[in-house]
Amino acid sequence: MKTTRITSMPIACLALSTIFSAAMADTITIATVDNGDMVRMQGLTEHFTKANPDITVEWVTLDENTLRQRATTDIATGGGQFDVVTIGTYEASIWAARDWLVPLDDLPGGYDIGDLLPSIRAGLSYDGVLYAAPFYGESSFTMYRTDLFEEAGLEMPEEPTWDFIKEAASALTDREQGISGVCLRGKAGWGENMALVTSMANSFGAKWFDMNWQPQLDSEAWNNALTTYAELLSKYGPVDASSRGYQENLALFQQGQCAIWIDATAAGQFVMNEDSTVADSVGFAMAPDNGLGKRANWLWAWALAIPTSTDRQESAKKFVAWATSKDYLALVAETDGWASVPPGTRKSLYENPEYQKVPFAAMTLASIEAADPTAPTVEEVPYTGVQFVAFPEFTGIATAVGQQFANVLEDAATIEDALKNSQWVTEKQMVRVEMLNR
Amino acid sequence: MVDTATDQGRSIAEMDDELLPVPKHRLHGPKHFLGLYGAEHVAATEFVIGAAFVAMGASIQDILLGLLIGNTLAAMSFWLITAPIAVKTRLSLYTYIEYHLGDLTSRIYNGANVLIFAAISAAMITVSATAVRVLFDIPPQIYPYPSNLAFAAIAASASVIAVVVAYYGFNVVAEFATICTPWLMVMFTAGGMVLIPALNETLTGYTTLASFSEFVNLAGATVFTGINAEGKPGIGLVEVIGFAWAANTFAHFGLVDMAMLRYAKKSVYGLCTATGMMFGHYVAWISAALMGAATASMMKLSIAVVSPGDVAYYALGATGFVIVIIAGWTTANPNLYRAGLAAQAVFPKVPRQKVTLAVGAVVVVGSCFPFIYRQILPILAYAGLVLVPIGGIVFAEQHLFPRLGLKSNWHRLKGLKDNKPALITWAICLVFGFGLNATGILYFVYLFLPTWMVAIVCYTVLAKAAGAGESYPEAEQREQEFNRKVEEYHARLAATETHVPVKDTSTLTKGIRAVWILVGLVVPAVLAWRVLFNSPDLYAYYVNREMFYSVTIWCTLIYFVFAWWDLQRSKAMQRGDHASTGPMQAAPAM
Repeated sequence: MKTTRITSMPIACLALSTIFSAAMADTITIATVDNGDMVRMQGLTEHFTKANPDITVEWVTLDENTLRQRATTDIATGGGQFDVVTIGTYEASIWAARDWLVPLDDLPGGYDIGDLLPSIRAGLSYDGVLYAAPFYGESSFTMYRTDLFEEAGLEMPEEPTWDFIKEAASALTDREQGISGVCLRGKAGWGENMALVTSMANSFGAKWFDMNWQPQLDSEAWNNALTTYAELLSKYGPVDASSRGYQENLALFQQGQCAIWIDATAAGQFVMNEDSTVADSVGFAMAPDNGLGKRANWLWAWALAIPTSTDRQESAKKFVAWATSKDYLALVAETDGWASVPPGTRKSLYENPEYQKVPFAAMTLASIEAADPTAPTVEEVPYTGVQFVAFPEFTGIATAVGQQFANVLEDAATIEDALKNSQWVTEKQMVRVEMLNR
Repeated sequence: MVDTATDQGRSIAEMDDELLPVPKHRLHGPKHFLGLYGAEHVAATEFVIGAAFVAMGASIQDILLGLLIGNTLAAMSFWLITAPIAVKTRLSLYTYIEYHLGDLTSRIYNGANVLIFAAISAAMITVSATAVRVLFDIPPQIYPYPSNLAFAAIAASASVIAVVVAYYGFNVVAEFATICTPWLMVMFTAGGMVLIPALNETLTGYTTLASFSEFVNLAGATVFTGINAEGKPGIGLVEVIGFAWAANTFAHFGLVDMAMLRYAKKSVYGLCTATGMMFGHYVAWISAALMGAATASMMKLSIAVVSPGDVAYYALGATGFVIVIIAGWTTANPNLYRAGLAAQAVFPKVPRQKVTLAVGAVVVVGSCFPFIYRQILPILAYAGLVLVPIGGIVFAEQHLFPRLGLKSNWHRLKGLKDNKPALITWAICLVFGFGLNATGILYFVYLFLPTWMVAIVCYTVLAKAAGAGESYPEAEQREQEFNRKVEEYHARLAATETHVPVKDTSTLTKGIRAVWILVGLVVPAVLAWRVLFNSPDLYAYYVNREMFYSVTIWCTLIYFVFAWWDLQRSKAMQRGDHASTGPMQAAPAM
């Protein structure tokens, strides 16, 4: 009887403590987009809650537009509905500038902030302070068909120039076989052709604005960049180039219809997976340059941020620290394999011998490191962002400019007219932007 | 006291017109009310209320149907409740209260009006300040309180100017307001049209809409999503109907608009309020919501905090500043004036300057707080709840009492200073209405209905107990005599006043009208149409939008110059100043 009492005491205590801790648990709500990495993170959340029994986690999964609307409303009205939100590099500095985000330079649990890739960290910082912790990062690089290069007797340099790309595309274009020498994003949109063309323009020394925020799209540098872009696609690109974005070009490359494709480092895994007919003959190189010290590679990251409207800042910080930590990457590797580990955030991942075996890992790292969101182009500029300019109205302006560039591909506009129109629309919109945001 | 017919006649002639019933020769036809209500309900508040429906999470279907039903109910309330009493008594509510509900009721009622009109004025001035803040390099005000001292200074300065203008130049602003209506209607509609392509592009990547169903889908996905600011299911059809109906409770069930409808020849003209309800509270609310959502999307902000100034600027360019300032001031002006008058009625012994100064100070402080304008819809609904018992009391006196054999004007006949049944009824209704609100049984916008009914029942019972059913032969005779004298006075007045309006048909006037109609209204409307229906991509959209912005500001300038000129000529003609207006042909008004 005594034994029974002694044995039952700890069980009762445990049960009571479980009930008590559940009652006292701090519930954090995370607003996120519906992508593979975040779905995986949701599946692994139990590891976090086991280690932090005083915290429970609720997920709200939304499409990107709705997430932005809901999160901005929540933050701006101080609703406190979300404790953690998923944002990209574009939003990070805009939201941080509005004092909507909690600084993350003191994340708990031995969070190794120094291990973050410097360019990714810079892209998610404002005034030198980290405001969003990255769980995924990407740049852009050159993917090419090693077999076609070999047949043509060409060798892709690790750091190609635009002149070489033009030369190689010319040599590799085979219209009869349905092979385009080069595939580039042509579909109009700030996240489509303008991501590539802006990055490309950076490598030609072009810039969106000078230090006085005067638009510079009518400059010679932009003319050179757009001329090269238009020449590559019109002479060596796929038919209907102006309607092809990331997905369309990925399909072309996988089907063996592109000799060279310059696009996101995230595409590396898809050109080498089972869906690709050319998986065993793909090579990787840096994005091209023009000898001016800047490459045409962009920089993007998805990150977790904590709105200032939350009442559960400490618990939110614990979660963010866990989800973007080295241990989390190891956990994903353990459960889903190294190929599934979210890339592009930490130096230590690329130092791991297992991850180094991934064919495009080294080139992804080099590409990310080569991008500098605080100094995106050759000359000094007043803005941050590589393939975008971090202010709210940029997306609309860039899409309108992207339509002008798509017109060039469709022979509906000359390069001069497209740039003149782009300069005009940017000037006009900046008057409104400056009026409302100054 | 000498009470000869001559002396009584003289005293009636010396009485303030406001205290007498409206003479027959000053009554108006339906056209007057169609214009009047169109003007009254297209104001700066519409920018805010449109956005409020978005933040409350109404769905597009509920908005399209609910606003239609709610505004129809509101127009019917004006027709069936307000207009018959206004036409029967020919008095404003304020005069009616003073005559029939006693001194204390009048003072308390006016006190409530001071607060309500001061709040509306403050809200409208804040709305104007949101446009002005851009010119002074002040950041957007996204919090309920002023987060920038300079903004508070701008709002306070604007309030001071508005108070001074309302005090010294009320008539000029009121006159100016009368010419704003057609322009405000066009601009509100155009603003929504101009921003729809930008909104569509953020959702679908396309700037064009092929059909009305695509518009409904767009509005449903981006504006009226059915999800509120907290991410929960928003208000439904019943609530939308209630908001539309209750937005003007104090005017219809509360009978404040007796002041306007007492001039109606027939009570059926109450239906003319439909111009205000169906344009200002339907098209303008939806348009304002679309504009707000598009602006929020472009500025990467929330519609809950995006300011009317920013919305108007994105929708209409420089004209947007003009519309917000004009719509704000022309709404604030009469409300400030009303607040001032009400305050004077509350404190009749305090010098007018001091009272105006005190009201002005309240408005100045209130205008610094964006919270007030963002909460204008609930403020209007609760204001209605406070004032609606008086509407119930008057309704009972005018409709129920004659049927029950009670005297409508029993309090006046009895010669009492205060109408205690009215005061008690009002107190009971406030306790009942706000108590019901606390229980949460009924959505707050509908509280006015049971409260109004309680007022009718309570007052009927209490008034009967206080002597409404008794006979007062002497007093009744005095009343009849007074009414006869008033009729005689009105007859004399009618003989001296021009009561057949003349119609200006001169070529110059026709030319002036053609300019403000074509250049001021048609051109901006056509350009807005072009932005909406002829912008195949975002670049073309920006080109068309810039054209709209650039031309519309000049059209606006031309509109106001020529419309003002037209108005002054018309006034001069009504005064018979033919020399300054050239040859004209007199014609009876339609």
